[in-house]
Amino acid sequence: MIGGGISGISASLSLARQGIKTCLIEEQPTIGGAMVKVGKLFSPEKLVEECAMCLLNPLVNEAVEHQNIGILTNTTLKSAERRSGNFNLLIESKPRMVIEDRCISCGSCAEVCPVEVKDSWNEGMTIRKAIYKPFAQAVPDVYTIDLENCKKCGKCQDVCRMNAIDLEMEGEIIPMTVGSVVIATGHKTFDMAKRPEYSYGRHEDIVTQMELARIMGVNGPTKGKLLKPSNNKVPERVVMVQCVGSRDEKPGGRKYCSKVCCMVAIKHANVIKQHYPDTDVIICYNDMRTPGMYEKYFKYAQSNGVRLIRGRPGEIAEKNGIFTVRLEDTLSKEPLEIETDLVVLSTAMEPSKGTIDVSGILDVGLTEELFVKEKHSKIKPVATEVEGIFVCGTAQGPKDITDSIVQANAAASKVSELINGGVELEPFVASIDPSKCKLCRKCIDVCKYKAAYIQDEVLTVDPISCTGCGACLWECNNDAIEIMGQTDEQIMAMITGMLKDKKPHENRIIAFLDSVGYVSADNIGINKIDVPNSIRIIKIPSMNRIMPKHVLHAFKMGADGIIMGEYPYNLMYSRTKEKIRGLKRELLKNNINPDRLVFYKVYIPYFRGLASKFNEFDGKIKCLEN
Amino acid sequence: MKFIPDKDILLFKSCLVNVEYPGIESSTSYIFDRIDVEYYVDERQSCCTGLGHYYDLFDQLSTTALAARNFQIAAETGHKNIAVMCATCYAILKKSANILNQNEEARNKVNKILDDSNLEKMEYNTYDMDPVKNIFHVAEIFFNKRDKISSLVKVDLSGFRVATHHACHYCKVHYNDTIEGVRDPNLIDSLAAAVGVETIGWYDHKRVTCGAGFRQRFTNKEVSLAVTAEKLHVLKENEVEILLHMCPNCQMQFDRYQPYIENKLETEFNIFHLNISQFIALALGADPYKVLGIQTHTVPIEPLLKRLKLPFNIVDQKENAKAEKSLKN
Repeated sequence: MIGGGISGISASLSLARQGIKTCLIEEQPTIGGAMVKVGKLFSPEKLVEECAMCLLNPLVNEAVEHQNIGILTNTTLKSAERRSGNFNLLIESKPRMVIEDRCISCGSCAEVCPVEVKDSWNEGMTIRKAIYKPFAQAVPDVYTIDLENCKKCGKCQDVCRMNAIDLEMEGEIIPMTVGSVVIATGHKTFDMAKRPEYSYGRHEDIVTQMELARIMGVNGPTKGKLLKPSNNKVPERVVMVQCVGSRDEKPGGRKYCSKVCCMVAIKHANVIKQHYPDTDVIICYNDMRTPGMYEKYFKYAQSNGVRLIRGRPGEIAEKNGIFTVRLEDTLSKEPLEIETDLVVLSTAMEPSKGTIDVSGILDVGLTEELFVKEKHSKIKPVATEVEGIFVCGTAQGPKDITDSIVQANAAASKVSELINGGVELEPFVASIDPSKCKLCRKCIDVCKYKAAYIQDEVLTVDPISCTGCGACLWECNNDAIEIMGQTDEQIMAMITGMLKDKKPHENRIIAFLDSVGYVSADNIGINKIDVPNSIRIIKIPSMNRIMPKHVLHAFKMGADGIIMGEYPYNLMYSRTKEKIRGLKRELLKNNINPDRLVFYKVYIPYFRGLASKFNEFDGKIKCLEN
Repeated sequence: MKFIPDKDILLFKSCLVNVEYPGIESSTSYIFDRIDVEYYVDERQSCCTGLGHYYDLFDQLSTTALAARNFQIAAETGHKNIAVMCATCYAILKKSANILNQNEEARNKVNKILDDSNLEKMEYNTYDMDPVKNIFHVAEIFFNKRDKISSLVKVDLSGFRVATHHACHYCKVHYNDTIEGVRDPNLIDSLAAAVGVETIGWYDHKRVTCGAGFRQRFTNKEVSLAVTAEKLHVLKENEVEILLHMCPNCQMQFDRYQPYIENKLETEFNIFHLNISQFIALALGADPYKVLGIQTHTVPIEPLLKRLKLPFNIVDQKENAKAEKSLKN
């Protein structure tokens, strides 16, 4: 489990409860991720805000105590390779400089530490020491030395009664073989340096929603009081700006909706209204996106007196400590300037650096926006392009805690299927003849299933990932690849068989159909739809399997035409179209009319379409014959 | 980052530059000659129609047809890369190239016009002009050669407080092609840095229009100048002494109207207005009159030059005006 936020913790617990040994690795010195920082959670059904730490802490404790879960903090993934369905990982633990078994978390070390740095747990709004524990309930409950800032003065060592500090401690590289990997590496928020017009960073009282969450957290810099960072006074007005970086088509923006920001803004607005009813709260929004039960919570905010203005602010300017938020009210179509003393920016969720790095190491695909790509976003959620690697939480895309937990459980369930249920494989997979293979890597480049890989200088095909589509056969100049159960001899023999005993003046058409096409053809039969006698069907895994030699062989053996049918939304379809053009060129070279070969997209419910295509093609072939 | 050429460049003449601030063109040539940029100016080139187009005097078809002709002139002389000095030319030419490449009906109409005018040789074919790969603002050409520019600096301008005004039609229209920031435009700031001048960077209203709005300056003069005045106020609050421009129209709005606004509002801004080409040329030691052409400015540049203590013969324009007046009398 890579990532110890709410997604990683939830998925680990689910797996552990199913009896699967799980190792949870976390880059930070403590687990809990973003959820420990947000303070309150919205509870739309109950119209209340619940305590995040109170909900998370029992889960963290269970994870710590569970015998099937091992937790490694300060740890990152360094490298990974696949070996027949398993993954060999190398993980690296940074030295904590504090011996975990000895530290009793008394805090004397931090008292004497002379180095003061901004505390990232409080979004930089407070100061911590170079030896620190991020927050009171941190797990593991030990201090850590921040190596970037520690001056190694040794004062902490002098004061530590447990002799727990070892300034010579070295990092560790740990090898590990696992059956499955879950990526739960989370997100980061939009870099406000890209939005100078919002003046973030130039004025203390322009904060992000996460900073506001810390300000209002009882364990935060102001012990839960809503006080402006600049002067510790309660703001008279709070203006929230939605879609900062999200839903933004201009360069540097994020085109997607970050999904959680409407609810986060409403949550904070509600909390402010409850405790500071005299503070005016205005949310500047583009659209309020509160589907399902969330709509109730939105109405509740309006009943609490939270004001809403539709429009995306263009600029926030400051003069004598007062901010002017400039926007167009897009309902009245009037330009508007709102004066306020606290601005809160709802920043977009972006893929974290960890998400991008880990995906690179594991060779899983990323979306255009650099979130982890699912194999099929509709029908194969949480599965990545690599068999056995799954994704959950905000590493996959923006989502709230509820959705992250649901997805974490889905990922755990898919891992469990694989580990407890075993795998059934189709026999049609590529096999490599190592004596012919020159390791040119062309097959690796072409395979979108990422089934081929080189290990110890030998090209290997992962039978779990390979679909036997045959695209690699086209690329291999050395004839080193065969599809087991679909060898050239077998295909040639099937073609020969289909054309056996052809009578004079009889037309025969070979139809190569993939599994979808084959079911469609079955439906033609069940529904008693007429198809010409000339059609002879051969089932193949993918049109990529059919090579010029097969087609030429068919025509040599007397075929009058070839029709190829494939479902278009498969991973390798883009190659299919290219292949069909290549086959037609081959025919032309051999003085065969390329019109004798056609390609058709097949769909299971549209079997009548396939039948009429058969009829139409048969008619065309008859015309060509005459 | 897009590829920016340093050769085969047609330096695209601009009517506002030639009529109002011809020093922008001579400054550009002055710089190009010194940073090894191979360019050419063609007398046959026509106006881009921009001003007329935005005044609703030229329709899009005429604009596109003239662009097609100008593109063919560029191609014919082997200078297929166009570098403009005016942001209006920039946006107009890019839009026209897009239309010619993507709209078959418009392309056919334009080719018919060329045909009817006995210019069949100039027929436009798709992607004869690539708006991304072939059309640039001269500031981009400078940016690409900023290291070379830095090595040639002779005059230290770092004693001035400088702000930049980035042209809307460079930053906001074809924003996917804009370099050095759209929301936070920094192209001219980077060029100022190349001649050793650190600008004030971001300021409130940095991205706001100059206010000219083409005919708005004349038909809605109060609104137009109110926008200009608002920006001048912020610049004054920031104690800016020089505002750098990349579009002659913006420069006109600020330079020609600053005294008018000062008069109206009974305030003084005392801000010098220079095009980035003029500013760089000055830093490279160009003559303020023969190259920068400061004699065409409304806000006199002489006080700026005096502070630099350059060996140029600085003319006192006020004295000159007095002398001229007395001659007339």
